[in-house]
Amino acid sequence: MRIGKIIAMALAATMMASTAFAGAVYDKVMQDKKIRIGIMTDSIPGAFFDAKGEWTGFDYDISTELAKRIGVEIERVKVNNKTRIAFIQQGRIDVSVANMTHTRERDKSIDFSITYFFDGQKVLSKKGAFASLADMKDKKIATMQGTTSEINIKNALKALGVANPDEHIISFQKESECFQALEMGRVAGWTTDATILLGYAAKKPGAFELVGDFLSDEPYGMGLPQDDSALRDAVNAALQDMWRDGTYMNIYNKWYGPETPYAMPMTNQIELWP
Amino acid sequence: MIRFWLEKVWVQNTVLLAIAAIMTYYWGWVFDFGYKFEWSMLYTVNETYQVNLGLEILKGLWVTVKITAISAAIGLGLGTVLGLSRLSDFKPLRYTATCIIEFFRNTPLLVVLFFFYFAFPRALPDAAREWIFSFHFEFWTAAVAVGMYTSAFMAEVIRAGLQSIPKGILEAAYSSGLSYVQVLRKIILPLAFREIIPPLGSEFLNNMKNTSLAMFVGVADMTWQAQQAEALTFKGFEATTAASVMYLSFSLIISFVLNGVNGKLRTVGNTNRSLPVLFVSLFYLPFSVASSALFNPVGRFLRARRRQRAASTYVSARQAALRMVAKRAAQAAILAGKAAFLLLLGSCLYVTIKGLITFDWAAIVTEFSHLIIWQFPHEEADPFLGMGGFTLSFIIAVVAIAASFLIGLVVGLGRCSNNRIFRIPSLLYIELIRGNPLIIVIYWVYFLIPVLFNTFFNTVWSASIALTLFTAAYLAEIVRGGIQNIPPGQVEAATASGLTYWQTMRKIILPQALKQMIPPIVGLFIAIFKDTSLVSILGVMELTSVAKAVDNRLMVASMEIWTTTALLYFIPCFLMSKYAAALERKLSPEKVNLKM
Repeated sequence: MRIGKIIAMALAATMMASTAFAGAVYDKVMQDKKIRIGIMTDSIPGAFFDAKGEWTGFDYDISTELAKRIGVEIERVKVNNKTRIAFIQQGRIDVSVANMTHTRERDKSIDFSITYFFDGQKVLSKKGAFASLADMKDKKIATMQGTTSEINIKNALKALGVANPDEHIISFQKESECFQALEMGRVAGWTTDATILLGYAAKKPGAFELVGDFLSDEPYGMGLPQDDSALRDAVNAALQDMWRDGTYMNIYNKWYGPETPYAMPMTNQIELWP
Repeated sequence: MIRFWLEKVWVQNTVLLAIAAIMTYYWGWVFDFGYKFEWSMLYTVNETYQVNLGLEILKGLWVTVKITAISAAIGLGLGTVLGLSRLSDFKPLRYTATCIIEFFRNTPLLVVLFFFYFAFPRALPDAAREWIFSFHFEFWTAAVAVGMYTSAFMAEVIRAGLQSIPKGILEAAYSSGLSYVQVLRKIILPLAFREIIPPLGSEFLNNMKNTSLAMFVGVADMTWQAQQAEALTFKGFEATTAASVMYLSFSLIISFVLNGVNGKLRTVGNTNRSLPVLFVSLFYLPFSVASSALFNPVGRFLRARRRQRAASTYVSARQAALRMVAKRAAQAAILAGKAAFLLLLGSCLYVTIKGLITFDWAAIVTEFSHLIIWQFPHEEADPFLGMGGFTLSFIIAVVAIAASFLIGLVVGLGRCSNNRIFRIPSLLYIELIRGNPLIIVIYWVYFLIPVLFNTFFNTVWSASIALTLFTAAYLAEIVRGGIQNIPPGQVEAATASGLTYWQTMRKIILPQALKQMIPPIVGLFIAIFKDTSLVSILGVMELTSVAKAVDNRLMVASMEIWTTTALLYFIPCFLMSKYAAALERKLSPEKVNLKM
């Protein structure tokens, strides 16, 4: 009897849970007056904890601005490169602003905003050690597991005539681990998006440099739940407004301007719809 | 009436089948998952990446098997050395072995692994570093770190086995005039061996599961490949299931062999003809043939010669002198060995103290509060107000052990029950969880809860649930062990005096069993506290994650931060293990035994 009751309660709870999350995400955001945005914790200068232990960074500022423009309160949720897509799929967050390259494979699972940041993949190595990726093809290269960088570097090595690229790649779980492996000389280079590399290289000025050409373009999009066009429109409009009135460039220059340790000139522009 | 029917085996089978059928029907056809299953990803070539992900997971299995074999060999070899050292009369050796064992037993494997991979090479000169990097450094680090971690647990098993010989037998042996070597060879080792093998087997299993951590240093083992498949296709549920099935099969194979070995070792009425025993016997066959054909005659010859020599008491002056010299040489060699050991120990201490003096103590002082509470109470958005670090690890461990106690008790009772309706589901639950590494269980909960219940929890709760389910399976086994230790006569007496099952359990069995279970439960709590380090994979800001975040920000004080972190894990675990040992002595004083 008691077991029957527990089962019935569990079933009821399950049913309630499934109805509670059926509504469109945009409606829910506007109703709660709160948008849940996923941000990284150890991507410098994208989103990280500063010396005072406070969350800050480019993505942090962009997401704050985004919530302001949509006119709702922001709730920041910590994500990493493993959870940033799963959290959107499961409805734990409404938007992810987390160094995510817009790819077609990812587009099968979630939706993306227009490109809000233009990055490209490069290789970081000790200063003066190598001139190009070709010099490194007999050495080990670090990257992060499950990223587009991992696939790109394997293809690049294959194009350079390396028979078994898997043997030359060490895939870590976190960016900081890649950097430490580079620092202690376990790997000759660390490859991922250039901004991330610059962020870490700035920790030890003059010790590291970017090598060779861009391996790929990495257009960053904000991750959005699949098939929720109202939310996608709102996010896209907010991004374009930010660009139009100069707020975007203010934030950009705060983190990537010429005076910053992560200086990277802006060479592109956000797509604008009339 | 119900009881009458429930005692019939066919009724039990029918009920079980019906439950299975209802579950299959409900989740197979009625329930809407809101998730598209794509099992084909496991056997077809992915179009975007041109790889067969199922094949990649199989490649990962091969790496897992290799690491398991190497680390098990290291664990057994080093474990024997450490276990024997711990019983040595030479105090420096005994204390060093104790320190090494306690360090590995009370520090999470993940922290040990990071230490070996990131901190150890920095302490080496450049040439040596280049030399070790020229091998598969990731693979070997993982194998050695896991092996050393296992060795500490094996050392304790071996020591306990050697010390488990009843006092009376040793007294009898010594008083009948046997020398120490003879006692060791004829009495202690054969008896201890039987005592050691079963717990050693479960250490082999743990070792296999621990290899799943190798992925943290970039080794492409099975867990890594499953994650890779998830990252490429976002089909985490399917990938984790595939890895889980593989781990389970691997565990079952190891258990099968271990059962065979245990069955073969059983001396009383050894007519065991079960499948595992026959399987092991098949492997043992060449050795037993060689032994009866070769070693036995040689042994007989040697014994005869020794007996002959012993019979003649005459010793020539030259022989006596030779024996004297040999004895002196042996003594000198032992002395030299001891001196060399002391020298080595001294230099290690010198390096450590020198390192400690150059420590950046200011960094530890400023970051210590972060390591303990992280941002508490400065983050309003977080349900835990930014609580993290040591405190959060401890809270997760307490929640897991408290919640798992009830589940563990129920499942443990179910496992001992004669009724199949309770026994088989309990058995399935225990074996399913124990056959998988914790990290796979964490993934299961993380992917399964949203799929099954269409809802989600904060990652802290998700992690706590995973740890609870994991702990409960181990607790259930402790409960079972405790109950089965109670003499069966007591149950018979209780039944004969008319007590019902629940009365027997509540008034007779459980009070006694629980008392015996306290030390292993404290041990389990230590394990859980250490295992909280694994939930960092979900981004929960517990101690390991916080240490990483702090280290990542400072970049200049890795050694300081990680040593402090290791100590934060070590000190509570060490104190608890001492407490458990004291408790065990208090609860079973008869185990305190004679020096061997």
